Amino acid sequence: MNKTSKLLALLLSGSMMLSLAACGGGATTTPAPEESKAAEPAQSQAAEPVESKAVEPAEKTADDIPDNMTSADGKYEVAFITDVGQLKDKSFNQGTYDGVKLYADANGLSYKYYQPANGDQATDDDRYDAMKAAVDGGAKVVVCAGFMQEGALKRAAEENPEVPFVFIDGYPIGLDNVAGISFQEEQSGYLAGYAVVKEGFEKLGFTGGGGGTNPACCRFGYGFVQGANAAAAEMGKNVEMNYSWEYGASFSASPELQTMANGWYTSGTEVIFACGGSMFQSVSAAASANDCFVVGVDVDQSFESDTVLTSAMKGLSSAVQWAVAKVYDGSFAEIGGQGTALGAKDDAVGLPTATWTMETYTVAEYEAQLADIVSGKLAIDADYETGLEQDWSNLKLNII
Amino acid sequence: MTFLIQQTLLYAVPLMIVALAGVFAERSGIINLALEGIMIFGAFVGVLFVRLMQGNPAIMGAFSAKQWVTLQGLELLAMLVAAVFGALFSLLLSFASVNLRADQTIGGTALNLMAPALVLFLVRIISNQNTLQMASGDAASWFMIKKTTLGFDRKADLGFLGNTLLHQVYLATYICIILFVVLSILLYKTKFGLRLRSCGENPQAADSLGINVYKMRYAGTTISGALAGMGGFVYALTTANCASTGDVAGFGFLALAVMIFGNWKPGNIAGAALIFGLFKCVAASYPSIDINGDGVYLLAELGISSHLYRMLPYIITLVVLAFTSKKSRAPKAEGIPYDKGQR
Repeated sequence: MNKTSKLLALLLSGSMMLSLAACGGGATTTPAPEESKAAEPAQSQAAEPVESKAVEPAEKTADDIPDNMTSADGKYEVAFITDVGQLKDKSFNQGTYDGVKLYADANGLSYKYYQPANGDQATDDDRYDAMKAAVDGGAKVVVCAGFMQEGALKRAAEENPEVPFVFIDGYPIGLDNVAGISFQEEQSGYLAGYAVVKEGFEKLGFTGGGGGTNPACCRFGYGFVQGANAAAAEMGKNVEMNYSWEYGASFSASPELQTMANGWYTSGTEVIFACGGSMFQSVSAAASANDCFVVGVDVDQSFESDTVLTSAMKGLSSAVQWAVAKVYDGSFAEIGGQGTALGAKDDAVGLPTATWTMETYTVAEYEAQLADIVSGKLAIDADYETGLEQDWSNLKLNII
Repeated sequence: MTFLIQQTLLYAVPLMIVALAGVFAERSGIINLALEGIMIFGAFVGVLFVRLMQGNPAIMGAFSAKQWVTLQGLELLAMLVAAVFGALFSLLLSFASVNLRADQTIGGTALNLMAPALVLFLVRIISNQNTLQMASGDAASWFMIKKTTLGFDRKADLGFLGNTLLHQVYLATYICIILFVVLSILLYKTKFGLRLRSCGENPQAADSLGINVYKMRYAGTTISGALAGMGGFVYALTTANCASTGDVAGFGFLALAVMIFGNWKPGNIAGAALIFGLFKCVAASYPSIDINGDGVYLLAELGISSHLYRMLPYIITLVVLAFTSKKSRAPKAEGIPYDKGQR
């Protein structure tokens, strides 16, 4: 063996060792590297180009504001802790972060997002580390997305009583510096279910994320069923719905989910409510293959795909801006320590009438329906645990 | 039935082509444990290529003008790029195991560990999250061949064969099947194939007859890398909506299992991949499978737990392996670094 090949051997084995060492380091959860990891992206990726430029330059949208900003003093006032799934999930995380960005940008504040380590397998410790990194990074308010943050939030909020926490999709946890903000997703789901049946669809589908343990997704689904049933009863016909928590436990896209959706569409389902973050990718791919439709969730997803009929929205962005504003105008005590449920009366749930592609169901009908919910004339049940598996008058529910 | 065949092919074809990749390496005497890693890398390169090309106004114009030929060309080009980079990536393995005579299992494992880490690192730099997607649209609207693509009416009935083979399919699937056949012939019916196989059985004898064992082994692993890289992209394109996540759901390892299960023979491998693909499809969509088209969803009405269906592909693999492994015979010299001085 000559010298060159020995040298190469050394280099190669060196690189193999390095890659092995890197993997070993990732698996153990020492808090120290996580913090540095969380602190780094802001500097290194500040030059990240904005992915999609908004069409109208007149009004500044969240997409015009970069995800990473660099503050002069290295402190970030408004911090955002993501839920499981991607930041750019074009749904829950992104919608919440849009609120952070919009408020911070409008008020000249520094902002930053923290993604708990270990992705979908993030533990309370990982989330706590992210929150601690946020507080240590100078956060004056921490926005936490997703009900799974509860455990970590208890610890972080108790240790930092002076820092207000906004708990989106949350509830009061007995601490005065935590404001729980939830949405009446059942109203949004109801409106969507009602709309698609009025539009003329008879075979619907619902696929939810979180494996049936996520209260927000459960309320969306339960509302969707109620709305579809109500519309079918009014029209005097029967509709059918496939209802599944099978895939997307971690709110991610997967080949299996795409195959399942493909199967539904092939066997006659016309529209599927894809309720959960990146799951939308799989369902819309299947819809596109079969020339069928999707109902989006959380934010208006009509820009993502031509297959989107409408989206069951909740006003994540505006709720975040509203709550963060309370911190800055000194009235946080009004919502701190309590749970606030935002619904149709707060203009926090609904369908995007400007971008929907409904042809039969009109905006006027929708407005009337919405007004009934706002006035309380039409009450929508949120108790999905007992309510879902009842005998629906005009709907056949296939729970898969 | 149409649905079942199409979905089975979607799962089976990447498995088949990657298992054949394994055959090429092992028949030349190199254990290519790195199939998974190469697939991940190939998927990443292919998706990145599509994403970059979408930034080109000419390509976007072709999409909005529905110039399907251009888009199918883009798909083929992306497959080619993925194959080239897969081959380059596999050179690391060839170099370690042919020139340096390193342990091939360790070398392959190192690549398997390196690929997801490297890909995730790059994906995060490029897209600031853990998934690299197409810049716009979805795989189906860009690359899928439908009735409308071919100029038929949306409601046109093309008969059973037409509906199955020409509607809602990807060109990549057929290219892979053709490649599979051509390469199998190459391996068994040509001079090159015979020489390659001899290097995996008795390299000393092959060398004594003037065959350059090192070259043959390089050829075997490079073809293997190219196929695995391409297979990775085809998997991402057809089943994962053209997204790269540093993960191919263990398809590289499954391909290894399929290869062993198919006894290192292309025909058996195709069969094994189809069985696995079929059960994978059944697992994910059993409630929507209407076998004879009479509107009765038999599998759903049996009332068996969905978990059982989801276990099926793996149970079947175990069972078949248990019955076939006795007969299975690996190439004799695989895994042994070739040393000219040894007799």
